Amino acid sequence: MMQEARGKGQEAGGKGQEAGGKGQDLRITDHASRGTLPQVNLRGGLALMRKTWLSWVQHRSFFFLLAFGWMIPPLIYLFVWSTAAGGGTVGGFSRGQFVAYYLVLIAVNQLTYSQNNWTVGDVIRYGGMNALLLRPLSPVFDTLSSEVAGKVVYMLFIVPVTAALALWLRPELHVTLHNGLAFVPALALAWALRFFWGYWLALLAFWATRADALLSLQDALIFLLAGQVAPTALLPGALRVAATWLPFRYMVGFPVEVLTGQLDISGILTGFAFQLGWLAVALALFGVMWRTGVKRYSAVGG
Amino acid sequence: MIVESLKSKVESQKLRSRQYSQIRSFTDSLILEESMRYLKLIRRFIIIAFQDVLAYRMNFWISLLYSVLNLGTGVLGLVVLFGQVETLRGWTLASTLALLGVYLTLGALRGLFIGPSLEALAGMDGEVWTGQFDFTLLRPVDVQFLASFRHWRPLALLDLLLALGVLGTGMAQMGQTLTPGRVLAFVIGMTAGLLILYAILLAFSALVFWSPGFLFTWLFNALLQTARYPVGLYPGWLRLVLTWIVPVGVMTTIPAQALSGDLPVGMLAGAVALALAFFAGATVLFRTGLRRYASASS
Repeated sequence: MMQEARGKGQEAGGKGQEAGGKGQDLRITDHASRGTLPQVNLRGGLALMRKTWLSWVQHRSFFFLLAFGWMIPPLIYLFVWSTAAGGGTVGGFSRGQFVAYYLVLIAVNQLTYSQNNWTVGDVIRYGGMNALLLRPLSPVFDTLSSEVAGKVVYMLFIVPVTAALALWLRPELHVTLHNGLAFVPALALAWALRFFWGYWLALLAFWATRADALLSLQDALIFLLAGQVAPTALLPGALRVAATWLPFRYMVGFPVEVLTGQLDISGILTGFAFQLGWLAVALALFGVMWRTGVKRYSAVGG
Repeated sequence: MIVESLKSKVESQKLRSRQYSQIRSFTDSLILEESMRYLKLIRRFIIIAFQDVLAYRMNFWISLLYSVLNLGTGVLGLVVLFGQVETLRGWTLASTLALLGVYLTLGALRGLFIGPSLEALAGMDGEVWTGQFDFTLLRPVDVQFLASFRHWRPLALLDLLLALGVLGTGMAQMGQTLTPGRVLAFVIGMTAGLLILYAILLAFSALVFWSPGFLFTWLFNALLQTARYPVGLYPGWLRLVLTWIVPVGVMTTIPAQALSGDLPVGMLAGAVALALAFFAGATVLFRTGLRRYASASS
């Protein structure tokens, strides 16, 4: 069970090795070598999503465990900052506002986190990419379908747990219509940015075997600069400047700040500009990495 | 006649006592030999681990990166927090830094041998899950020993160095004088903490015998992160849980308090008693679980 859960590509890896073993000609489909996305094969896409969804649901207890693990660090900071605020305020935040901030952050962090970024590297290293390249669909769709399935499974855990915590810890959250409306695109852009930023880093596996160390570096930077350790407004000077300019805040912290009403109109618009700018950079890097990487890829297995 | 019988009685008594002392010394030497054998085994395991590390040198740099990231996020987290408040329930930046040092030290010691060994047993693709555990059981060595000391990760020594650095920095900033009494209390507290950590990990790994698919140690890893901060910073009910039910708080808070000198002797004794109780309980649980092991087959 766990072996499969580790990476969606593992069974695909087995198939790829089989193909190699039989000495079949591993022709890489046209779209993959050119690196352009093909027209979406709808039936194939739906079947892929169904398969991925079933596999995720089957392993739900494993994913609930992962979600629990990811929830703990923000929860620790929720308690620590709540204690710091006590009956008063710290840096303009009251206890209830900290609770609201971190509960929203737990959900946003889970929604934008892409664990597929970790499996892409394995798929490349262990040769699972062979089978994916043979499909008449770009491999990015495989990742996207498990992304969708994963989000639903994680939310089955996160939503009831944060709701229970909210009933108990009494957050102070007043969502205005503006903030609520701005939150939706902010969240979507945050997800896209975090997904493609992680994906281009993961594609470095085409060149270096231990590229996943960079994903750990990214997680550490997200912890510090994306609003986990503290809301960006509370960071000391240099860290706050770094948080404003680097992409990490726009992957997690920014949508949370929008929903909890910490930003005025100009703050929200600047944030959107940063999100779009960094997303463009991430997409460009992803495109370059993919195009040059696939050409360089030589299959392992057989 | 009587004298004769008395004499012979005394003789036989003497003989028996001589025999007894011979047997005693024999068993003593056996126990000594036995523990020497275990120490030799540990030496072998460590040597193997070092040879393994030398074969993959790139891992050194990657490991260093992870260690520095772990340290950096921990320290910067505290700097951010104490940039906003001066003290928090009696804890200052310096004393919390010392506590973080204790947390990182325990984590490094765990990463050195307890973690890799138990992870190989009960982790992802662990021996219990794959059935490889059969071969561990067949070896003529105590199973719990083998499960706890078999695998070493020498690169964790990097973490240990960095952790001791954080601990030292925290202590230097606290400006506390170190009396021998405090150092002794600290060492006792650390040992108790390490024993509790080992016991909990052993117990969580033992649960794998009942439910082979579930990664109990991951659950514990999530909870362990709460030990980064003093138990006193959490709300009341959570403090109780972290002290008595899953005593991760005790592991770091007590040694840190021992250093600053505001630890009552009773608390230290309580921590030691708790550690011994957890160790005994975990051993019983592990051995009970062992009997349930039925290998694995496809």
